[in-house]
Amino acid sequence: MTDLKPENHSSAISNVDELVTNGLYEMLCSANAEEYFVNIKEDLTQVDRLVSDAVNNLVINFKYISQLTKTHHDMVLAIEKLALPEEKQSIIELLQKQMVIADKIEHELEMTVTSLQFGDLVTQLLAHTVKQVDSLNKELQRIDGKENFNNECTSWQAKHQKISKAVSAANIRIKEKPVAQQGMQMGDIELF
Amino acid sequence: MAKTILAVDDSTSIRQMVAFTLKGAGYEVIEAVDGQDALEKANFHQVNLVLTDINMPRMDGLKLLELLRELNHYKKIPILMLTTESGDEMKAKGRAAGATGWLVKPFDPKRLLEVIAKVIN
Repeated sequence: MTDLKPENHSSAISNVDELVTNGLYEMLCSANAEEYFVNIKEDLTQVDRLVSDAVNNLVINFKYISQLTKTHHDMVLAIEKLALPEEKQSIIELLQKQMVIADKIEHELEMTVTSLQFGDLVTQLLAHTVKQVDSLNKELQRIDGKENFNNECTSWQAKHQKISKAVSAANIRIKEKPVAQQGMQMGDIELF
Repeated sequence: MAKTILAVDDSTSIRQMVAFTLKGAGYEVIEAVDGQDALEKANFHQVNLVLTDINMPRMDGLKLLELLRELNHYKKIPILMLTTESGDEMKAKGRAAGATGWLVKPFDPKRLLEVIAKVIN
């Protein structure tokens, strides 16, 4: 982290002046900005990888649990058929309780199908964010490279306006957000 | 004979959830990873319904919809869009291109099956 103690601060300013004189300051700023955007993209890609990996594992677990539940359901039915109603009433009652539990598990698994779709939503939002970052980076590079952004005559106000324009241009280039959902409730259905 | 559904989505987990839901209800499911893959598979299989995502690489769902509607067999086959997109403009595009219905993700398995049963017959 940068040390901002007064004595160090003045020394930092003199270092910046030196860099500006040597024309290196703009180059360093540009390289830092580029690195900054690359880091953001790497972070977003990492989040996407982690979410995708988690979702894949969850889907594998889900399918296995679902398979086991079906087998369990079938076994309870088979045992129920084997038990004689008159003599094995207590067993029948236990099996019926087992059936109720199996049905509840199946119901819960059905609900999980809706929640497990979060991976797709996250991936699309991340892809959208990466596009936004890319677009902003390109616009900033454009004003940095082509419009004499670092010219000493350019006032801070003019620079500010150029940055605002770049942000607006980047914003226009990005199409509408692909995911509007704020939660994992079921989406709307419309038949034409 | 079981009816066949072509499920198109670039997300593996969504394809798996769709296939799980549909197979559990007795449908045959053909999976495609994008519009291009779906178009190739649609030409080789007799499909009763198409369920497709929109945002996909190579060919998106709206382009797939347009191209399928140009094929004789797919002129009257129900084509449902299953997507995160919920904007009116996008829905209007889908409707104009010949979509049968619009389902916004995440889907609920029971409701999905109800809608499919309604349009597939």
